[in-house]
Amino acid sequence: MATGMQQPYRGGSGYVARSSSSGLYDVLELILDKGLVIDVFVRVSLIGIEILTIDARIVIASVDTYLRFAEAVNRLDLMSTETQGLPELMEGITEGGASKKTKGIVQGAKEALFGDEDEEEEGEEEKEPATTRRRSTSTTAKRRQAASGSSSGSSRRRKKSS
Amino acid sequence: MAGNPSNSPLYVYGVVPSKGTTGPAGAGIDDRPVQLVAHGEVAALTSSVADDFLEAGRQELLTHSRVLEEAMDRSAVLPMRFGVVMPDEQTIRDRLLDPYAEELEGQLREVEGKVEVSIRGIYDEATILREALAENRELAELRDSIQGKPEAATYYERIRLGEMVAQTLDDKRAAAGPEVIERLSAHAVDVRVGEPVHERMAVNGSFLVERKRLGEFDRAVEEIGAEQAGRIRIKYTGPLPPHSFVQLGVGA
Repeated sequence: MATGMQQPYRGGSGYVARSSSSGLYDVLELILDKGLVIDVFVRVSLIGIEILTIDARIVIASVDTYLRFAEAVNRLDLMSTETQGLPELMEGITEGGASKKTKGIVQGAKEALFGDEDEEEEGEEEKEPATTRRRSTSTTAKRRQAASGSSSGSSRRRKKSS
Repeated sequence: MAGNPSNSPLYVYGVVPSKGTTGPAGAGIDDRPVQLVAHGEVAALTSSVADDFLEAGRQELLTHSRVLEEAMDRSAVLPMRFGVVMPDEQTIRDRLLDPYAEELEGQLREVEGKVEVSIRGIYDEATILREALAENRELAELRDSIQGKPEAATYYERIRLGEMVAQTLDDKRAAAGPEVIERLSAHAVDVRVGEPVHERMAVNGSFLVERKRLGEFDRAVEEIGAEQAGRIRIKYTGPLPPHSFVQLGVGA
């Protein structure tokens, strides 16, 4: 049934964005920390996934967010049709200290895991500074290398959780 | 049930009923065949893992999700959390299928004929900010007092302004979120309310919906989407296996 509904759906109104394909970022993020688990299970080492699951708790109440909102409000009159987020405003805002750094790491992990699919979020995720991008790119590269079997010495070994 | 007892480590995707489940189709992680490890009424969906090393990244998560969606089309399925590997078939029986048999059977019955749908609502930033300015005099005045001044001179005022915006969003979320959840719950068997994943998220809920009522549920979503057009963008993801509605033991 699911496979029969994987084409993009446009409801009669077109007001609801629908997806069911498991390739989508939304689905991956949704299932990441869900499902049955028993503590005796061995869990594999996951690239940034343990970090990623705390994504929901970060930066919702941070100086960065406040400054971004303030910019958005100040710009409101200047915006006529632009209604999406304002990622460009993040550039040049370097304050924020630890929270900013944390976000960078989490976003880096997310990008490594989800790759280009992030772009489907349509500006819901802020663009990160170049340093983060470089970092995540190298992580992705390493993963691909490992996946192709050329990196058995990778430090991301399976961990036993007890 | 696969014939060759495997002594190699197995990746575990989920649990399905052992009866009435046609053999698994499609490949699992690393293109290894998906096979059932059955024990009594329940069976684990597994595939072997090379050596003792499994890189679990995006590709593997995609495969995990696909295998479960394919299983969902054939029978009830209880998804395992991504990344579970067990040492061999015997361990799967001894540690999962046997001790939890009753719970697993019960949950399989519960999710039979049902699917998960995730509903997320995202505020349109400009619309919601205009609302906030119109509704909150203090907010509008602070904004007016800052506008045109250099950023460096108004750093703390801007933080204060942003904080007020965030507070307004919180208030709006507190009003809108439960209403959406309640309206959609009327068409679902169960619901899990999630935290907002980012600051513009108005609502985040996962619903367990009977397949036969999916059309009715979808219409309710469409209705809300139409009402909130231009203000809250509704994202509908599903039907999915019931990832949010399975649990083993207490607080597992």
